[in-house]
Amino acid sequence: MDLGALGVYACLFMGLYFEVFLLISFFEKRPSQKTAHGPRRFPAVSIIVPCYNEERTIAATVQSLLALEYQKKKLNIVVVDEKVYRPRNLLEHMQAVEYIFGVFFKKMFDNLASISVLPGPFSLYRREVFQKVGTFRHAHNTEDMEMAFRMHAHGLKIANAHTAYVHTTVPKTLRTLLTQRVRWSQGYLQNSLDYRYMYGNLRFGHFGMFTLPFGLAAFAAGLYLAGYMLYHVATTLGARTLTLWATGIPLRPPALPTEWFFLNTSMMLFLTVAVFLMTLAAIILGARIAQARLSAKSLAIYFVLFGFVAPLWLLRAVWNTARVRESVWR
Amino acid sequence: MKDWRKYILALIITAAMFVTAFYLTSMLNSARLADIRGAQEQIAIDLLSSETQFELLGNLDCNLITQNPILSEELNSMAERLSFAENNLNPENDNVVRLKKQYTLLEIKDYLLMEQISKKCNTSPVSILYFYSNQDDCPDCTRAGDVLTYLRQTYPSLRVYSFDYHLDLGALQTLISLRKVKADLPALIINNRIPVYGFRNLEETRALIPELKDLATSTTETK
Repeated sequence: MDLGALGVYACLFMGLYFEVFLLISFFEKRPSQKTAHGPRRFPAVSIIVPCYNEERTIAATVQSLLALEYQKKKLNIVVVDEKVYRPRNLLEHMQAVEYIFGVFFKKMFDNLASISVLPGPFSLYRREVFQKVGTFRHAHNTEDMEMAFRMHAHGLKIANAHTAYVHTTVPKTLRTLLTQRVRWSQGYLQNSLDYRYMYGNLRFGHFGMFTLPFGLAAFAAGLYLAGYMLYHVATTLGARTLTLWATGIPLRPPALPTEWFFLNTSMMLFLTVAVFLMTLAAIILGARIAQARLSAKSLAIYFVLFGFVAPLWLLRAVWNTARVRESVWR
Repeated sequence: MKDWRKYILALIITAAMFVTAFYLTSMLNSARLADIRGAQEQIAIDLLSSETQFELLGNLDCNLITQNPILSEELNSMAERLSFAENNLNPENDNVVRLKKQYTLLEIKDYLLMEQISKKCNTSPVSILYFYSNQDDCPDCTRAGDVLTYLRQTYPSLRVYSFDYHLDLGALQTLISLRKVKADLPALIINNRIPVYGFRNLEETRALIPELKDLATSTTETK
Protein backbone atom coordinates (compact mmCIF):
# COMPACT_ATOMS: atom_id res chain seq x y z
CA MET A 1 0.00 0.00 0.00
CA ASP A 2 1.43 3.41 -0.95
CA LEU A 3 1.80 6.29 1.51
CA GLY A 4 -0.85 8.32 -0.26
CA ALA A 5 -3.45 5.60 0.30
CA LEU A 6 -2.43 5.43 4.00
CA GLY A 7 -3.22 9.12 4.26
CA VAL A 8 -6.65 8.50 2.75
CA TYR A 9 -7.30 5.74 5.30
CA ALA A 10 -6.28 8.13 8.09
CA CYS A 11 -8.77 10.72 6.79
CA LEU A 12 -11.50 8.07 6.51
CA PHE A 13 -10.82 6.93 10.08
CA MET A 14 -11.02 10.48 11.35
CA GLY A 15 -14.20 11.22 9.39
CA LEU A 16 -15.89 8.05 10.60
CA TYR A 17 -14.81 8.65 14.22
CA PHE A 18 -16.22 12.18 14.10
CA GLU A 19 -19.57 11.06 12.69
CA VAL A 20 -19.83 8.06 15.03
CA PHE A 21 -19.14 10.36 18.00
CA LEU A 22 -21.87 12.77 16.92
CA LEU A 23 -24.36 9.97 16.29
CA ILE A 24 -23.67 8.59 19.78
CA SER A 25 -24.43 12.09 21.09
CA PHE A 26 -27.67 12.08 19.09
CA PHE A 27 -28.87 8.80 20.58
CA GLU A 28 -27.82 9.88 24.08
CA LYS A 29 -30.01 12.95 23.99
CA ARG A 30 -32.50 13.17 21.15
CA PRO A 31 -33.70 16.68 20.32
CA SER A 32 -37.26 17.37 21.46
CA GLN A 33 -39.89 17.92 18.82
CA LYS A 34 -41.14 21.41 18.15
CA THR A 35 -43.86 22.35 20.64
CA ALA A 36 -46.79 24.73 20.71
CA HIS A 37 -45.96 25.77 24.30
CA GLY A 38 -44.59 29.28 24.66
CA PRO A 39 -42.12 30.69 27.20
CA ARG A 40 -43.31 31.23 30.78
CA ARG A 41 -41.75 34.65 31.16
CA PHE A 42 -41.04 37.41 28.66
CA PRO A 43 -37.85 39.34 29.45
CA ALA A 44 -37.10 42.46 27.41
CA VAL A 45 -35.18 41.51 24.30
CA SER A 46 -33.19 43.74 21.98
CA ILE A 47 -32.61 42.47 18.46
CA ILE A 48 -29.74 44.30 16.81
CA VAL A 49 -29.61 43.99 13.03
CA PRO A 50 -26.27 45.25 11.65
CA CYS A 51 -26.59 46.02 7.91
CA TYR A 52 -24.17 46.92 5.16
CA ASN A 53 -25.73 47.54 1.72
CA GLU A 54 -28.60 45.20 2.62
CA GLU A 55 -31.26 47.08 0.60
CA ARG A 56 -32.40 43.84 -1.06
CA THR A 57 -33.11 41.97 2.17
CA ILE A 58 -33.66 44.51 5.01
CA ALA A 59 -37.41 44.95 4.50
CA ALA A 60 -38.10 41.23 4.58
CA THR A 61 -35.83 40.82 7.62
CA VAL A 62 -37.65 43.51 9.59
CA GLN A 63 -41.04 42.08 8.57
CA SER A 64 -40.02 38.64 9.79
CA LEU A 65 -38.82 40.09 13.11
CA LEU A 66 -42.12 41.98 13.52
CA ALA A 67 -43.94 38.70 12.92
CA LEU A 68 -42.23 37.06 15.95
CA GLU A 69 -44.71 35.65 18.44
CA TYR A 70 -43.41 37.74 21.33
CA GLN A 71 -44.92 40.56 23.40
CA LYS A 72 -44.31 43.57 21.18
CA LYS A 73 -43.82 45.99 24.11
CA LYS A 74 -40.97 43.76 25.38
CA LEU A 75 -39.29 43.70 21.95
CA ASN A 76 -36.81 46.30 20.77
CA ILE A 77 -35.60 46.07 17.18
CA VAL A 78 -32.54 48.14 16.33
CA VAL A 79 -31.46 48.26 12.70
CA VAL A 80 -27.89 49.50 12.42
CA ASP A 81 -27.20 50.69 8.92
CA GLU A 82 -23.47 51.05 8.25
CA LYS A 83 -25.24 49.01 4.69
CA VAL A 84 -39.22 31.93 2.49
CA TYR A 85 -36.19 30.83 0.61
CA ARG A 86 -36.06 28.65 -2.37
CA PRO A 87 -32.74 27.48 -3.86
CA ARG A 88 -32.59 28.25 -7.53
CA ASN A 89 -29.16 27.46 -8.88
CA LEU A 90 -26.74 24.59 -8.23
CA LEU A 91 -24.80 26.45 -5.54
CA GLU A 92 -27.99 27.33 -3.66
CA HIS A 93 -29.12 23.71 -3.74
CA MET A 94 -25.73 22.66 -2.41
CA GLN A 95 -25.89 25.21 0.41
CA ALA A 96 -29.46 24.25 1.31
CA VAL A 97 -28.26 20.74 2.13
CA GLU A 98 -25.14 22.07 3.81
CA TYR A 99 -27.21 24.22 6.17
CA ILE A 100 -29.44 21.26 7.04
CA PHE A 101 -26.30 19.23 7.75
CA GLY A 102 -25.25 22.18 9.90
CA VAL A 103 -28.50 21.90 11.91
CA PHE A 104 -27.48 18.36 12.90
CA PHE A 105 -23.97 19.52 13.82
CA LYS A 106 -25.22 22.44 15.89
CA LYS A 107 -27.60 20.25 17.84
CA MET A 108 -24.97 17.60 18.51
CA PHE A 109 -22.43 20.21 19.53
CA ASP A 110 -25.16 21.59 21.79
CA ASN A 111 -25.46 18.15 23.40
CA LEU A 112 -21.70 18.26 23.93
CA ALA A 113 -21.77 21.88 25.18
CA SER A 114 -19.28 22.72 22.46
CA ILE A 115 -20.98 24.98 19.91
CA SER A 116 -18.19 26.75 18.05
CA VAL A 117 -20.05 29.69 16.48
CA LEU A 118 -23.03 31.89 17.34
CA PRO A 119 -24.45 32.36 13.84
CA GLY A 120 -25.02 35.89 12.70
CA PRO A 121 -28.53 35.21 11.25
CA PHE A 122 -29.88 34.85 14.69
CA SER A 123 -28.28 34.60 18.11
CA LEU A 124 -29.61 35.88 21.42
CA TYR A 125 -27.34 36.91 24.28
CA ARG A 126 -27.95 37.73 27.89
CA ARG A 127 -26.69 41.28 28.44
CA GLU A 128 -24.44 40.08 31.31
CA VAL A 129 -22.38 38.10 28.74
CA PHE A 130 -20.96 41.36 27.41
CA GLN A 131 -20.37 42.59 30.93
CA LYS A 132 -18.36 39.45 31.70
CA VAL A 133 -16.40 38.90 28.48
CA GLY A 134 -16.53 42.25 26.72
CA THR A 135 -18.18 43.31 23.48
CA PHE A 136 -17.65 42.09 19.91
CA ARG A 137 -14.20 42.41 18.42
CA HIS A 138 -13.14 42.67 14.78
CA ALA A 139 -11.86 39.08 15.15
CA HIS A 140 -10.75 38.58 11.53
CA ASN A 141 -14.29 39.37 10.22
CA THR A 142 -15.74 36.42 12.17
CA GLU A 143 -16.85 38.09 15.39
CA ASP A 144 -19.68 35.55 15.91
CA MET A 145 -17.16 32.71 15.98
CA GLU A 146 -14.68 34.56 18.17
CA MET A 147 -17.47 35.38 20.65
CA ALA A 148 -18.25 31.65 20.93
CA PHE A 149 -14.57 30.87 21.54
CA ARG A 150 -14.40 33.63 24.16
CA MET A 151 -17.53 32.43 25.94
CA HIS A 152 -16.10 28.91 26.16
CA ALA A 153 -12.84 30.34 27.47
CA HIS A 154 -14.85 32.01 30.28
CA GLY A 155 -16.92 28.88 30.97
CA LEU A 156 -20.18 30.44 29.75
CA LYS A 157 -23.00 28.34 28.28
CA ILE A 158 -24.16 28.36 24.65
CA ALA A 159 -27.39 26.56 23.78
CA ASN A 160 -29.02 25.75 20.45
CA ALA A 161 -32.75 26.45 20.16
CA HIS A 162 -33.49 23.96 17.39
CA THR A 163 -37.22 24.68 17.57
CA ALA A 164 -36.71 28.24 16.29
CA TYR A 165 -37.09 28.90 12.57
CA VAL A 166 -34.34 31.09 11.14
CA HIS A 167 -34.05 31.80 7.43
CA THR A 168 -31.04 33.31 5.73
CA THR A 169 -30.04 34.21 2.19
CA VAL A 170 -27.00 32.56 0.67
CA PRO A 171 -24.46 33.58 -1.97
CA LYS A 172 -25.70 32.79 -5.46
CA THR A 173 -22.48 32.90 -7.42
CA LEU A 174 -19.22 31.01 -7.02
CA ARG A 175 -17.29 34.23 -6.47
CA THR A 176 -19.52 35.45 -3.63
CA LEU A 177 -19.70 31.97 -2.11
CA LEU A 178 -15.92 31.65 -2.09
CA THR A 179 -15.58 35.15 -0.58
CA GLN A 180 -17.93 34.18 2.25
CA ARG A 181 -16.42 30.77 2.90
CA VAL A 182 -12.83 31.98 2.73
CA ARG A 183 -13.80 34.50 5.39
CA TRP A 184 -15.39 31.79 7.57
CA SER A 185 -12.56 29.29 7.10
CA GLN A 186 -9.81 31.84 7.50
CA GLY A 187 -11.61 33.16 10.57
CA TYR A 188 -11.61 29.66 12.01
CA LEU A 189 -7.88 29.30 11.45
CA GLN A 190 -7.01 32.74 12.77
CA ASN A 191 -9.29 32.47 15.81
CA SER A 192 -7.79 29.03 16.43
CA LEU A 193 -4.35 30.60 16.47
CA ASP A 194 -5.57 33.24 18.93
CA TYR A 195 -7.16 30.59 21.16
CA ARG A 196 -4.67 27.80 20.55
CA TYR A 197 -4.33 27.18 24.29
CA MET A 198 -7.81 25.61 24.20
CA TYR A 199 -6.80 22.83 21.80
CA GLY A 200 -6.56 19.43 23.51
CA ASN A 201 -7.18 21.15 26.83
CA LEU A 202 -9.39 19.11 29.19
CA ARG A 203 -10.34 22.29 31.04
CA PHE A 204 -12.57 23.24 28.09
CA GLY A 205 -14.37 19.91 27.91
CA HIS A 206 -15.58 18.61 24.53
CA PHE A 207 -14.93 22.01 22.94
CA GLY A 208 -11.21 21.69 23.57
CA MET A 209 -10.95 17.91 23.23
CA PHE A 210 -13.28 17.25 20.28
CA THR A 211 -14.78 20.21 18.39
CA LEU A 212 -11.63 22.29 17.93
CA PRO A 213 -9.21 19.46 17.04
CA PHE A 214 -11.65 17.84 14.62
CA GLY A 215 -12.47 21.20 13.05
CA LEU A 216 -8.81 21.68 12.24
CA ALA A 217 -8.39 18.05 11.19
CA ALA A 218 -11.31 18.47 8.78
CA PHE A 219 -9.36 21.30 7.15
CA ALA A 220 -6.31 19.14 6.70
CA ALA A 221 -8.33 16.13 5.56
CA GLY A 222 -10.30 18.17 3.02
CA LEU A 223 -7.16 19.55 1.44
CA TYR A 224 -5.31 16.23 1.56
CA LEU A 225 -8.15 14.26 -0.05
CA ALA A 226 -8.67 16.89 -2.74
CA GLY A 227 -4.94 16.88 -3.49
CA TYR A 228 -4.78 13.09 -3.53
CA MET A 229 -7.78 12.79 -5.88
CA LEU A 230 -6.36 15.44 -8.19
CA TYR A 231 -2.97 13.72 -8.27
CA HIS A 232 -4.54 10.30 -8.80
CA VAL A 233 -6.84 11.49 -11.61
CA ALA A 234 -4.07 13.48 -13.29
CA THR A 235 -1.56 10.60 -13.20
CA THR A 236 -4.15 8.04 -14.32
CA LEU A 237 -5.31 10.22 -17.21
CA GLY A 238 -1.72 11.01 -18.11
CA ALA A 239 -0.71 7.35 -18.06
CA ARG A 240 -3.76 6.32 -20.12
CA THR A 241 -3.12 9.05 -22.69
CA LEU A 242 0.51 8.00 -22.98
CA THR A 243 -0.48 4.34 -23.32
CA LEU A 244 -3.03 5.11 -26.03
CA TRP A 245 -0.44 7.13 -27.91
CA ALA A 246 2.28 4.49 -27.54
CA THR A 247 0.12 1.44 -28.34
CA GLY A 248 -2.02 2.98 -31.08
CA ILE A 249 -5.09 1.28 -29.59
CA PRO A 250 -8.20 3.29 -30.56
CA LEU A 251 -9.98 5.16 -27.78
CA ARG A 252 -13.04 3.28 -26.54
CA PRO A 253 -15.51 4.06 -23.78
CA PRO A 254 -14.54 2.21 -20.60
CA ALA A 255 -16.31 -1.13 -20.30
CA LEU A 256 -18.53 -1.38 -17.24
CA PRO A 257 -17.99 -4.58 -15.27
CA THR A 258 -20.64 -7.13 -16.19
CA GLU A 259 -19.64 -9.66 -13.52
CA TRP A 260 -19.23 -9.24 -9.76
CA PHE A 261 -15.67 -10.58 -10.14
CA PHE A 262 -14.46 -7.35 -11.73
CA LEU A 263 -16.20 -4.93 -9.36
CA ASN A 264 -14.06 -2.68 -7.16
CA THR A 265 -14.37 -4.23 -3.70
CA SER A 266 -11.44 -2.55 -2.01
CA MET A 267 -11.46 -1.69 1.68
CA MET A 268 -11.16 1.99 0.75
CA LEU A 269 -14.38 1.83 -1.26
CA PHE A 270 -16.32 0.17 1.56
CA LEU A 271 -15.13 2.78 4.06
CA THR A 272 -15.95 5.63 1.67
CA VAL A 273 -19.46 4.20 1.31
CA ALA A 274 -19.70 4.06 5.12
CA VAL A 275 -18.75 7.75 5.37
CA PHE A 276 -21.27 8.60 2.67
CA LEU A 277 -24.08 6.70 4.41
CA MET A 278 -23.33 8.27 7.78
CA THR A 279 -23.24 11.72 6.21
CA LEU A 280 -26.58 11.02 4.56
CA ALA A 281 -27.98 9.83 7.91
CA ALA A 282 -26.75 13.03 9.59
CA ILE A 283 -28.36 15.18 6.88
CA ILE A 284 -31.66 13.30 7.21
CA LEU A 285 -31.57 13.72 10.99
CA GLY A 286 -30.78 17.42 10.48
CA ALA A 287 -33.85 17.71 8.23
CA ARG A 288 -35.98 16.05 10.93
CA ILE A 289 -34.66 18.38 13.61
CA ALA A 290 -35.29 21.44 11.45
CA GLN A 291 -38.53 20.00 10.07
CA ALA A 292 -37.22 20.97 6.65
CA ARG A 293 -37.86 19.23 3.36
CA LEU A 294 -34.96 17.73 1.44
CA SER A 295 -35.13 17.13 -2.27
CA ALA A 296 -33.24 14.31 -3.97
CA LYS A 297 -32.01 16.89 -6.45
CA SER A 298 -30.45 19.06 -3.71
CA LEU A 299 -28.88 15.99 -2.10
CA ALA A 300 -27.36 14.80 -5.38
CA ILE A 301 -26.01 18.28 -6.14
CA TYR A 302 -24.51 18.54 -2.66
CA PHE A 303 -22.69 15.20 -2.84
CA VAL A 304 -21.40 15.84 -6.35
CA LEU A 305 -20.46 19.50 -6.03
CA PHE A 306 -19.26 20.01 -2.48
CA GLY A 307 -16.07 18.00 -2.92
CA PHE A 308 -15.06 20.23 -5.85
CA VAL A 309 -15.99 23.59 -4.34
CA ALA A 310 -14.94 23.26 -0.69
CA PRO A 311 -11.20 22.63 -1.33
CA LEU A 312 -11.07 25.96 -3.20
CA TRP A 313 -11.98 28.01 -0.13
CA LEU A 314 -9.98 25.82 2.24
CA LEU A 315 -6.86 26.31 0.15
CA ARG A 316 -7.39 30.05 -0.12
CA ALA A 317 -8.02 30.34 3.62
CA VAL A 318 -4.83 28.43 4.48
CA TRP A 319 -2.85 30.53 2.00
CA ASN A 320 -4.20 33.81 3.37
CA THR A 321 -3.61 32.74 6.97
CA ALA A 322 -0.05 31.71 6.20
CA ARG A 323 0.56 35.09 4.53
CA VAL A 324 -1.13 36.89 7.45
CA ARG A 325 -3.57 38.49 5.05
CA GLU A 326 -7.02 39.53 6.34
CA SER A 327 -10.16 38.23 4.63
CA VAL A 328 -12.65 40.55 2.96
CA TRP A 329 -16.22 40.84 4.10
CA ARG A 330 -17.66 41.11 0.63
CA MET B 1 -22.67 8.31 29.72
CA LYS B 2 -19.37 9.43 31.22
CA ASP B 3 -17.57 11.62 28.71
CA TRP B 4 -14.37 9.59 28.40
CA ARG B 5 -16.40 6.43 27.75
CA LYS B 6 -17.99 8.09 24.74
CA TYR B 7 -14.55 8.66 23.22
CA ILE B 8 -13.64 5.01 23.78
CA LEU B 9 -16.98 3.76 22.42
CA ALA B 10 -16.62 5.87 19.27
CA LEU B 11 -13.10 4.48 18.81
CA ILE B 12 -14.34 0.90 19.21
CA ILE B 13 -17.20 1.40 16.73
CA THR B 14 -14.91 3.06 14.18
CA ALA B 15 -12.31 0.30 14.55
CA ALA B 16 -15.11 -2.27 14.13
CA MET B 17 -16.10 -0.60 10.86
CA PHE B 18 -12.51 -0.85 9.63
CA VAL B 19 -12.31 -4.50 10.63
CA THR B 20 -15.63 -5.20 8.88
CA ALA B 21 -14.43 -3.49 5.68
CA PHE B 22 -11.20 -5.50 5.83
CA TYR B 23 -13.14 -8.72 6.40
CA LEU B 24 -15.53 -8.01 3.51
CA THR B 25 -12.62 -7.32 1.16
CA SER B 26 -10.79 -10.50 2.23
CA MET B 27 -13.96 -12.55 1.86
CA LEU B 28 -14.55 -11.24 -1.66
CA ASN B 29 -10.92 -11.85 -2.63
CA SER B 30 -11.20 -15.42 -1.36
CA ALA B 31 -14.37 -15.80 -3.41
CA ARG B 32 -12.50 -14.52 -6.45
CA LEU B 33 -9.75 -17.10 -5.97
CA ALA B 34 -12.38 -19.81 -5.52
CA ASP B 35 -14.04 -18.62 -8.73
CA ILE B 36 -10.76 -18.86 -10.62
CA ARG B 37 -10.10 -22.29 -9.12
CA GLY B 38 -13.56 -23.49 -10.18
CA ALA B 39 -13.14 -22.13 -13.71
CA GLN B 40 -9.72 -23.73 -14.00
CA GLU B 41 -11.07 -27.08 -12.90
CA GLN B 42 -13.75 -26.82 -15.55
CA ILE B 43 -11.19 -25.91 -18.21
CA ALA B 44 -9.00 -28.84 -17.11
CA ILE B 45 -11.97 -31.20 -17.45
CA ASP B 46 -12.87 -29.79 -20.86
CA LEU B 47 -9.27 -30.06 -22.04
CA LEU B 48 -9.01 -33.63 -20.81
CA SER B 49 -12.27 -34.42 -22.57
CA SER B 50 -10.97 -32.94 -25.85
CA GLU B 51 -7.67 -34.80 -25.53
CA THR B 52 -9.48 -38.09 -24.84
CA GLN B 53 -11.87 -37.49 -27.74
CA PHE B 54 -8.91 -36.82 -30.00
CA GLU B 55 -7.19 -40.01 -28.92
CA LEU B 56 -10.37 -42.04 -29.38
CA LEU B 57 -11.12 -40.67 -32.83
CA GLY B 58 -7.54 -40.27 -34.07
CA ASN B 59 -7.55 -38.49 -37.42
CA LEU B 60 -10.68 -40.22 -38.67
CA ASP B 61 -13.17 -37.44 -38.18
CA CYS B 62 -11.77 -33.93 -38.05
CA ASN B 63 -15.29 -32.51 -38.52
CA LEU B 64 -16.37 -34.00 -35.23
CA ILE B 65 -13.35 -32.59 -33.45
CA THR B 66 -13.84 -29.14 -34.90
CA GLN B 67 -17.49 -29.25 -33.76
CA ASN B 68 -16.01 -29.09 -30.25
CA PRO B 69 -13.47 -26.29 -30.71
CA ILE B 70 -10.77 -25.90 -28.17
CA LEU B 71 -11.49 -23.45 -25.48
CA SER B 72 -10.19 -20.04 -26.59
CA GLU B 73 -13.07 -18.15 -25.02
CA GLU B 74 -12.78 -19.91 -21.66
CA LEU B 75 -9.03 -19.43 -21.59
CA ASN B 76 -9.37 -15.75 -22.50
CA SER B 77 -11.91 -15.26 -19.71
CA MET B 78 -9.56 -17.05 -17.30
CA ALA B 79 -6.67 -14.82 -18.41
CA GLU B 80 -8.69 -11.69 -17.59
CA ARG B 81 -9.66 -13.05 -14.19
CA LEU B 82 -6.13 -14.01 -13.29
CA SER B 83 -4.79 -10.66 -14.45
CA PHE B 84 -7.41 -8.86 -12.31
CA ALA B 85 -6.52 -11.01 -9.31
CA GLU B 86 -2.80 -10.35 -9.82
CA ASN B 87 -3.36 -6.59 -10.01
CA ASN B 88 -5.72 -6.37 -7.03
CA LEU B 89 -4.27 -8.98 -4.73
CA ASN B 90 -0.60 -9.31 -3.88
CA PRO B 91 1.03 -10.99 -6.93
CA GLU B 92 3.34 -12.84 -4.51
CA ASN B 93 0.28 -14.25 -2.72
CA ASP B 94 0.73 -18.06 -2.57
CA ASN B 95 -2.77 -18.73 -3.83
CA VAL B 96 -2.35 -16.41 -6.80
CA VAL B 97 1.02 -17.97 -7.72
CA ARG B 98 -0.44 -21.48 -7.46
CA LEU B 99 -3.40 -20.57 -9.67
CA LYS B 100 -1.04 -18.93 -12.13
CA LYS B 101 1.02 -22.12 -12.36
CA GLN B 102 -2.10 -24.23 -12.92
CA TYR B 103 -3.30 -21.82 -15.57
CA THR B 104 0.11 -21.87 -17.29
CA LEU B 105 -0.03 -25.67 -17.45
CA LEU B 106 -3.53 -25.54 -18.94
CA GLU B 107 -2.32 -23.04 -21.52
CA ILE B 108 0.58 -25.29 -22.51
CA LYS B 109 -1.72 -28.34 -22.76
CA ASP B 110 -4.20 -26.36 -24.84
CA TYR B 111 -1.40 -25.15 -27.10
CA LEU B 112 -0.02 -28.67 -27.63
CA LEU B 113 -3.47 -30.10 -28.32
CA MET B 114 -4.18 -27.32 -30.79
CA GLU B 115 -0.89 -28.07 -32.56
CA GLN B 116 -1.74 -31.78 -32.90
CA ILE B 117 -5.25 -31.10 -34.19
CA SER B 118 -4.04 -28.51 -36.67
CA LYS B 119 -1.49 -30.98 -38.10
CA LYS B 120 -3.93 -33.89 -38.32
CA CYS B 121 -6.97 -31.94 -39.49
CA ASN B 122 -5.14 -29.42 -41.62
CA THR B 123 -6.59 -26.39 -39.81
CA SER B 124 -4.75 -23.05 -39.47
CA PRO B 125 -5.32 -21.55 -36.05
CA VAL B 126 -3.44 -18.34 -35.34
CA SER B 127 -1.54 -18.46 -32.08
CA ILE B 128 0.75 -16.13 -30.17
CA LEU B 129 2.99 -17.20 -27.33
CA TYR B 130 3.58 -14.04 -25.28
CA PHE B 131 6.36 -13.96 -22.67
CA TYR B 132 6.26 -11.13 -20.11
CA SER B 133 7.55 -10.26 -16.66
CA ASN B 134 5.91 -8.62 -13.59
CA GLN B 135 9.29 -7.63 -12.22
CA ASP B 136 11.07 -4.38 -13.03
CA ASP B 137 12.90 -5.88 -16.04
CA CYS B 138 10.07 -5.20 -18.49
CA PRO B 139 8.69 -1.65 -18.42
CA ASP B 140 6.89 -2.17 -21.78
CA CYS B 141 5.16 -5.40 -20.82
CA THR B 142 1.96 -3.70 -19.67
CA ARG B 143 1.58 -1.92 -23.01
CA ALA B 144 2.38 -5.07 -24.95
CA GLY B 145 -0.29 -6.85 -22.92
CA ASP B 146 -2.79 -4.08 -23.78
CA VAL B 147 -2.11 -4.51 -27.50
CA LEU B 148 -2.59 -8.29 -27.33
CA THR B 149 -5.74 -7.90 -25.23
CA TYR B 150 -7.16 -5.58 -27.87
CA LEU B 151 -6.30 -8.06 -30.65
CA ARG B 152 -7.81 -10.90 -28.66
CA GLN B 153 -11.03 -8.94 -28.17
CA THR B 154 -11.10 -7.97 -31.85
CA TYR B 155 -10.38 -11.47 -33.16
CA PRO B 156 -12.14 -13.93 -30.82
CA SER B 157 -10.54 -16.98 -32.45
CA LEU B 158 -7.01 -15.59 -32.04
CA ARG B 159 -5.24 -17.69 -29.41
CA VAL B 160 -2.95 -15.68 -27.14
CA TYR B 161 -1.03 -17.68 -24.56
CA SER B 162 0.57 -15.43 -21.90
CA PHE B 163 3.50 -16.74 -19.86
CA ASP B 164 5.28 -15.11 -16.94
CA TYR B 165 8.90 -15.69 -18.01
CA HIS B 166 10.16 -15.94 -14.42
CA LEU B 167 7.45 -18.33 -13.15
CA ASP B 168 9.05 -21.25 -11.38
CA LEU B 169 7.38 -24.05 -13.37
CA GLY B 170 9.27 -26.90 -15.05
CA ALA B 171 6.98 -27.21 -18.06
CA LEU B 172 7.22 -23.48 -18.79
CA GLN B 173 11.01 -23.40 -18.48
CA THR B 174 11.16 -26.39 -20.86
CA LEU B 175 9.01 -24.53 -23.38
CA ILE B 176 11.24 -21.44 -23.05
CA SER B 177 14.31 -23.58 -23.54
CA LEU B 178 12.88 -25.48 -26.54
CA ARG B 179 11.80 -22.28 -28.28
CA LYS B 180 15.07 -20.56 -27.32
CA VAL B 181 13.33 -17.50 -25.88
CA LYS B 182 15.83 -14.98 -24.49
CA ALA B 183 15.10 -12.84 -21.43
CA ASP B 184 14.63 -9.80 -23.65
CA LEU B 185 11.01 -9.06 -22.83
CA PRO B 186 8.34 -8.71 -24.06
CA ALA B 187 8.82 -11.58 -26.50
CA LEU B 188 6.30 -12.97 -29.01
CA ILE B 189 6.30 -16.27 -30.88
CA ILE B 190 3.69 -15.94 -33.62
CA ASN B 191 2.52 -19.16 -35.26
CA ASN B 192 5.71 -21.00 -34.22
CA ARG B 193 7.97 -18.53 -36.05
CA ILE B 194 11.20 -17.27 -34.48
CA PRO B 195 10.76 -15.09 -31.40
CA VAL B 196 10.22 -11.37 -31.86
CA TYR B 197 11.59 -9.18 -29.06
CA GLY B 198 10.63 -5.72 -27.82
CA PHE B 199 7.44 -3.70 -27.71
CA ARG B 200 5.42 -3.24 -30.92
CA ASN B 201 2.38 -0.96 -31.14
CA LEU B 202 -0.93 -2.14 -32.60
CA GLU B 203 -0.11 -1.56 -36.26
CA GLU B 204 3.36 -3.02 -35.96
CA THR B 205 1.96 -6.12 -34.24
CA ARG B 206 -0.74 -6.51 -36.92
CA ALA B 207 1.99 -6.34 -39.55
CA LEU B 208 3.69 -9.31 -37.84
CA ILE B 209 0.49 -11.39 -38.19
CA PRO B 210 -0.74 -11.34 -41.82
CA GLU B 211 -2.97 -14.33 -40.94
CA LEU B 212 -5.27 -11.96 -39.03
CA LYS B 213 -7.00 -10.87 -42.23
CA ASP B 214 -8.54 -14.35 -42.50
CA LEU B 215 -9.95 -14.31 -38.98
CA ALA B 216 -13.48 -13.20 -38.14
CA THR B 217 -13.71 -10.02 -36.07
CA SER B 218 -15.98 -9.11 -33.22
CA THR B 219 -18.44 -6.19 -33.72
CA THR B 220 -16.43 -3.89 -31.44
CA GLU B 221 -13.41 -3.36 -33.65
CA THR B 222 -12.77 0.26 -34.64
CA LYS B 223 -10.33 1.13 -37.38
